Amino acid sequence: MSAVVQTKENYFKSANFKKKTGQAIVLIVLILGSLLILSPIWWMIATSLKDMKEIMTYPPTFIPKEWHWENYLITLQKGPFLQYTLNTLFITVFVVIGNVVANSFIAYGFAKIHFKGRNVLFACVLATMMIPGFVTLVPQYVIYAKLGWLNTYLPLILPAFFGSAFNIFLLRQFFLTIPNELIEAAKIDGANHLYIWWKIFIPLAKPAIATVAIFSFNGAWNDFLGPLLYINDESLYTLQLGLQIFKGQNDTQWNFLMAGSLMVLLPVITLFFFFQRYFIEGMNLTAGSKG
Amino acid sequence: MERIVINKPEITKKYKKQKASSSLQRKEGLQGYLFIAPWIIGFLFFMAGPLLFSLYGSFTNFNITSKMDFIGLDNFKKMFTNDPIIWLSLKNTLYYVVISVPLTTAGAVVLAVLLNQGIKGMRVFRTIFYLPAVLSGVGVYLLWMQLLSPSSGLVNTLLGFVGIDGPAWLTDPSWTKNALIFMKMWSVGGGMLLYLASLQGVSQSLYEAAEIDGATSFRKFFHITLPMITPVIFFDLVTSTIGAFQIFQEAYVMSESGDGGPANSLVFFNLHMWNKAFEVFDMGYAMAMSWVLFIIILVLTVFNLKIAPRWVHYEGEDRK
Amino acid sequence: MKTVRKTLVSLLILAISFSLILAGCSSKESGGSKSSGTKDGEKVVIDFWTFWGSETRRPIIEKIIDDFNKSQDKIEVKHTYLPWGDVWTKNLASIAAGNPADLIINDINAVGHRAQNNQNTNLAKYIEQDPEVKDRFYPELYNASLYEGDPYALPFNTDTRLMFWNKDMFEEAGLDPNTPPKTWAELEEMGKKLDVKKGDKYERIGYLPNQGIGADVWMINADGKGYWDFDAKKAIINDESNVEALTWMKNYYDYYGDKTINSFKAEFGEQTADPFVAGKLAITTDNANFFTKIRDYGDGMNFGVAPLPAMEEGNGNSSWGGGFVAEIPKGAKHPDEAWEFLKYLTDVQAQEYWAVKNFDIVANKEAAEKAAGSAEFSEEGKMVYSEATENMKQTLLTPTPIEAPDYINLIQPEIESVLLGKKSPKEGLDAAQKAVEELVKSNKK
Repeated sequence: MSAVVQTKENYFKSANFKKKTGQAIVLIVLILGSLLILSPIWWMIATSLKDMKEIMTYPPTFIPKEWHWENYLITLQKGPFLQYTLNTLFITVFVVIGNVVANSFIAYGFAKIHFKGRNVLFACVLATMMIPGFVTLVPQYVIYAKLGWLNTYLPLILPAFFGSAFNIFLLRQFFLTIPNELIEAAKIDGANHLYIWWKIFIPLAKPAIATVAIFSFNGAWNDFLGPLLYINDESLYTLQLGLQIFKGQNDTQWNFLMAGSLMVLLPVITLFFFFQRYFIEGMNLTAGSKG
Repeated sequence: MERIVINKPEITKKYKKQKASSSLQRKEGLQGYLFIAPWIIGFLFFMAGPLLFSLYGSFTNFNITSKMDFIGLDNFKKMFTNDPIIWLSLKNTLYYVVISVPLTTAGAVVLAVLLNQGIKGMRVFRTIFYLPAVLSGVGVYLLWMQLLSPSSGLVNTLLGFVGIDGPAWLTDPSWTKNALIFMKMWSVGGGMLLYLASLQGVSQSLYEAAEIDGATSFRKFFHITLPMITPVIFFDLVTSTIGAFQIFQEAYVMSESGDGGPANSLVFFNLHMWNKAFEVFDMGYAMAMSWVLFIIILVLTVFNLKIAPRWVHYEGEDRK
Repeated sequence: MKTVRKTLVSLLILAISFSLILAGCSSKESGGSKSSGTKDGEKVVIDFWTFWGSETRRPIIEKIIDDFNKSQDKIEVKHTYLPWGDVWTKNLASIAAGNPADLIINDINAVGHRAQNNQNTNLAKYIEQDPEVKDRFYPELYNASLYEGDPYALPFNTDTRLMFWNKDMFEEAGLDPNTPPKTWAELEEMGKKLDVKKGDKYERIGYLPNQGIGADVWMINADGKGYWDFDAKKAIINDESNVEALTWMKNYYDYYGDKTINSFKAEFGEQTADPFVAGKLAITTDNANFFTKIRDYGDGMNFGVAPLPAMEEGNGNSSWGGGFVAEIPKGAKHPDEAWEFLKYLTDVQAQEYWAVKNFDIVANKEAAEKAAGSAEFSEEGKMVYSEATENMKQTLLTPTPIEAPDYINLIQPEIESVLLGKKSPKEGLDAAQKAVEELVKSNKK
């Protein structure tokens, strides 16, 4: 590269400037967007800090007149939320493990192994997504009741180990983008599919797997209908069920409800914040890829 | 029928290869079944029974607790000739699907691209945008009912700052569905996750090559990024469509006493089904409705699958 | 390979049929599921499901349960809280699976509907043993718990609609604060006098007919009948008095403009600020326990309470109420013990305690009247409560007609269309009448 004298005209034309302006625009858009996204959250926070009297005044205030930080402590004391948290954590951890392992396993089969009836079976998988949940609600409940699984976490955890259509579909799409040369190469070296799945595909598909992990964590953590139906003992309740005590027929305690809801989402969002790198780590495919 | 061939080396070789490859195929096939076995087992044990039950149930007057007599096609007849609300519910659902799915998909893609820049502080931004997707439960819907209050709600107040007179979101029948779509847009960060992950798979060398050729950001986006993430876009479109057709919870919580008002503007197909199942206890009819919805979604999905090869580009390619 | 295939196919059939049998089994089988009614030594434990988990209700019901448990040693009641609304979905599923609770709180207006669908237990034989139980209740409430003459639940609590007015605002507007409107005409007139307008925006409105109640209540108030004639077992949605009532409501919309009224209604969502409490409405019609909102957030408002005004003098001041019952789900493992607790729950002591602590109108007449004079109420509380118990004489319920259980879904949209100005009251009600008649016909099949 020949030395370029950095004159004023040069600077404005240079790629560097273009890049920096581009970034600045993106930044501004993101900041504005964030403010918009955060405003309902702000409303939740503000509500959680008010006392019921202020909540019931009209017109509503956007900034609390008095900041009742103690609402958070009070919320925690209104119910056995520590127990609920542990319960929810227990369920969620197993569900995530089950989802990640089972779905990547199954999706690999659909994506990279050729067997008779594959397309038909995959269509069946997709088809299960199209059935509204609650017509199978009652029969499924009856099955679990007959199996004696009511009031246990089995109905909530076990299905995760048998795959779910959404995650299978998702991972299959990702796996399809991984070149087949990898598989061929591994086979030449004598590997079977199990080895390929475990040692090659899972590491390569980290962003997709992380996505499945976060989706299923979110789903299990916030699951309401499952725990409602299958758990009878209050000591086994999960967080979402526990939060309901603040919602009344016509006497909802908004401040505690909002405080509780905010606290419930903290673990998930913290997880997301720290595990972001798994989404961002590039899928390091073989050198010399198409260009 | 095996043909005994004597001393023709090429043919013997070819025959040996064929035999070898078909046994290899079989071995391959077996491994395939092994891999998908968990799903098959789970399906058979937990889903097949309830599904068949509900299929049979749609031809009965099942009321959950006391009767299940076969009534043939009566439920379906009633659906098509004697249910005034069902067509409206389909219309409402279609409106929601047609508007929310493209909007949220496009929004998620754009958001993911914006959040994929190597600028400092991206972690914070990504977390912020993902936040709404993590908030769940009835609390969120109740929150939005407050936010959408015509004069004092946050939404109309903010709109007021830019000079727009916000509508009566939840009491004006022509705006209620838009209110729900608006709410869905707020949590577009959930879908963004998907695209973030897939953007990682787009090889940097492609971009570098384009830059050498002098491509602008827009061209890079439309000619490299988009095509490379089409598998995920396809996934998102299919699953979002399926999900949007089943919208229920929001309407149930946010319309007065769960009836889909005002003026039935929020009566979606699933809400109508819910009412029939749990208010009237006509579960047989609800089951019939669910299978009709299933057929509708199935047709749409098959259509999507068929036209997919025209625009979806798989780098890895299907293994033959 | 063929044998492998065969085995696979037969395994498939086995698994599916296993799944199908389990799914299809109804409660007719004696369930082997974990029942909670294990004999604990000699005590029988029964499951009681309510949706009272809030900190106002929960301690009350648990004290009542505690008292019962302590008062005898044969039965122990175990209380489980389930979220409002969802509790009944779970109830349904558990009845289907054969392991429901032993006692549950459910809505009073659908008892017959549930009975018809075999979801609750016939209590006739228990009432035969203790016939005085049925005389405890307000007759209207007990009647609502009957299906084909037999009781399937016992009423627990109820509510009734009353009219509240802001006495200070009355004085300001030159009206006698102790003379509330007695007829619809007076209500309209006084309401308009109480309006305060600034420019073309209303700072305060006198009265709006859809605040706290709806068209159905006004129709009942008009002639004691709403949408359904229970004696004749048919819909009377478009009878004359109903049309008149809806027209009267529509007049408000025409006068104030439906934008004002609708945004007024939307502003004050059901669970946050109330316009009457916030001083934006001078008169309101609402539940008797609306008083708790005035008490807690009203800043010492000077108010009055009276029955709903009559359509015309002499028409009567009918009001509407709902409420809850306690019933034994079908298939409960310990109905006899549940009945014992049910008796206690609806007896004077428990009911009075509930009434006083919750400011709730209870179904037990004696308990309600005792509560009205309770020392724990303020003067105003006593005033409201006594007014409410008085009002029970003219409070009507609207049980779900079995012939058309979801008829409301056909009527409500028409009413909304009318109030939005899209149809005339007669057109809307005629359409609703026709739709419901169709529904009844198709349900008959």
